[in-house]
Amino acid sequence: MNWKKQVIDFIETRLGIRDILEQNLTKYLLPRNINAWYTLGAVLLTLFMIQFATGILLLIYYVPNPAEAFQSVERIMNEVPFGWLMRTLHAVGANIIIIALLLHMLSVMFMASYKRPRELTWLSGFIILNLAFALCLTGYLLPWSQLSFWATTVATDAAGAIPLIGDDLVRFLRGGSMVNEATLGRFFALHVMGMPLMLGLLIGFHLFCVRRAGISRAPFGPDYQPREHPDHFEHEEHHDGIPFFPNYVIKDTAVICFFLAFFLAIVFFAPNLFFPESAFEPADPFVTPPGIKPEWYFLWAYQALKIFPSEIIGLGVQGAFMTFLALLPFIDRGAERRPFKRPLFLTCYALGILLFVGISIWGHYS
Amino acid sequence: MIRLFVSVIVFSLLVLAAVDSALAQEETVCIQCHTGQSGSLATPVEEWRQSIHAANGVSCHGCHGGDPTDFAMAMSPDRGFIGAPDYASVPDFCGRCHVGVRQNYGESAHGQAVEDGGAQCVVCHNAHAVKKAEISLINEEDCSRCHEYGRAGEIKAAMVETEQMIGSVEQNLDRLHQLGIATDQIEGGLFDLRNRYHSLFHSVDVEKVRSETDGFQGELQEITQGISDIDSQLAQRKIWGGAAVALLLFGGIVSMLIRRTYHDEAGH
Repeated sequence: MNWKKQVIDFIETRLGIRDILEQNLTKYLLPRNINAWYTLGAVLLTLFMIQFATGILLLIYYVPNPAEAFQSVERIMNEVPFGWLMRTLHAVGANIIIIALLLHMLSVMFMASYKRPRELTWLSGFIILNLAFALCLTGYLLPWSQLSFWATTVATDAAGAIPLIGDDLVRFLRGGSMVNEATLGRFFALHVMGMPLMLGLLIGFHLFCVRRAGISRAPFGPDYQPREHPDHFEHEEHHDGIPFFPNYVIKDTAVICFFLAFFLAIVFFAPNLFFPESAFEPADPFVTPPGIKPEWYFLWAYQALKIFPSEIIGLGVQGAFMTFLALLPFIDRGAERRPFKRPLFLTCYALGILLFVGISIWGHYS
Repeated sequence: MIRLFVSVIVFSLLVLAAVDSALAQEETVCIQCHTGQSGSLATPVEEWRQSIHAANGVSCHGCHGGDPTDFAMAMSPDRGFIGAPDYASVPDFCGRCHVGVRQNYGESAHGQAVEDGGAQCVVCHNAHAVKKAEISLINEEDCSRCHEYGRAGEIKAAMVETEQMIGSVEQNLDRLHQLGIATDQIEGGLFDLRNRYHSLFHSVDVEKVRSETDGFQGELQEITQGISDIDSQLAQRKIWGGAAVALLLFGGIVSMLIRRTYHDEAGH
């Protein structure tokens, strides 16, 4: 037993780990009125770790070649021990992550936590959301099914609407005029290496921003008063707050458990919820499956493009909307964060959600 | 930072924008030309679109030959164009692909009488709106066009049970396929079995159908057993999944209860 103490003391003397743990766990105080919505960050971290772990396991058996990709996924689903579980967790997990990301973004918006001094936290989070979309898109092609092939064809085709450079851009994205072996190669490289690396760095930066600025106080309750942030750096302290560990970690654990229960319920009881029939047919460039639609989280964009008379207008409107969202903290700069004291914001917020849901449903049935 | 941001936005635009302009499946020159015509020259295309051939990707040139990529040479005998066969040649025309059926049909009363106007393939299956070989094709209305229904009815009665078994296996395989189970091998076996069984019908010999039905049903039971084994595995997965979900819910509830005690403590 003595040697264990000696090792710990050796490390402690040189790195001061106990102090780091204290500062970031038991002495790290969070606002007393912190609510369950704040746990979505921890939920997302857990989900990303599951994606990372299952992705590595899938990588052992997956073959990124059009001649073998579909068969390799079929082998994973049918022959590799627990391969079906890894693949279903990975594919369903991607959808669950998008749900969690959207909820996280909407809760941050509702509580106006993006406001100064947290602009960079918001911006990095927004880029993470878009990177997650890109990971979904690149991962979608890898099984080389009919769904993969044609959904990627349709999605990359959209770039052709951009004036002057559209056609060249489509060729660049696909590595040729059609979705082919080169497309699979570059999407595979981006999906398993390029984007996860960027995602890891961005998540690190996002967490750094959260830790440096301090957790924002929820804008609810009689004691809450909006305050202007000073011009210099200031960590938001909560001297009367609750410790991150164990008080808030246990709440994180509870919500993570509920989220994972929801996730596993889909994996085991409705595994084909996100898989249309064409997901189980090998890609055939000569047969377009009827009624091919993008995934649910792209349906709004798909339908929005159909509403406008030309694709370039549709793309422009979407671009403007996404730019507005990205720059929201720089546009909405007032100190007030209480949603019910901001009727214009609240109206736009509610209408925006209704519009997203409505257009997505329209896109699904169109 | 701004450059990174702009790059991400541009990339987001590209990946988010899914459009409805999926590449249209290229149609053969046969379809393009005949679609633009009228009357009996256009009808075959309209009928074909509803057929089992169209559903399985068998197009005009699959039966009539010719070059489906060249307007000028599409109907040239040099490119293998056959055109429409005469009445008695239809069994040979269809039998190029449906070899087993052709053999049984040739030995049947229908096949023996084809030179004298006996029923051939398109009489029951249609010429261009080719119907899938199903038990419903044997019915009083259609059979009575040429002869009394009695014998056809007996054959149908002998086939109904096996046909229902085949239909049930097909539905189960579709269900499993939707779950990502590799059903190709079983589907291949069923395809072979169904074709052999339907070939048997074309002999129009009720005793032959009855005597060989047991063999087919035995094969179908083997396939059904294989499907049951897969279903058992899936059921087991659900039990384990249910346990995992219950455990997580329990963990969540316990964590919430623990949290409540912490909350009280923090309030002091």
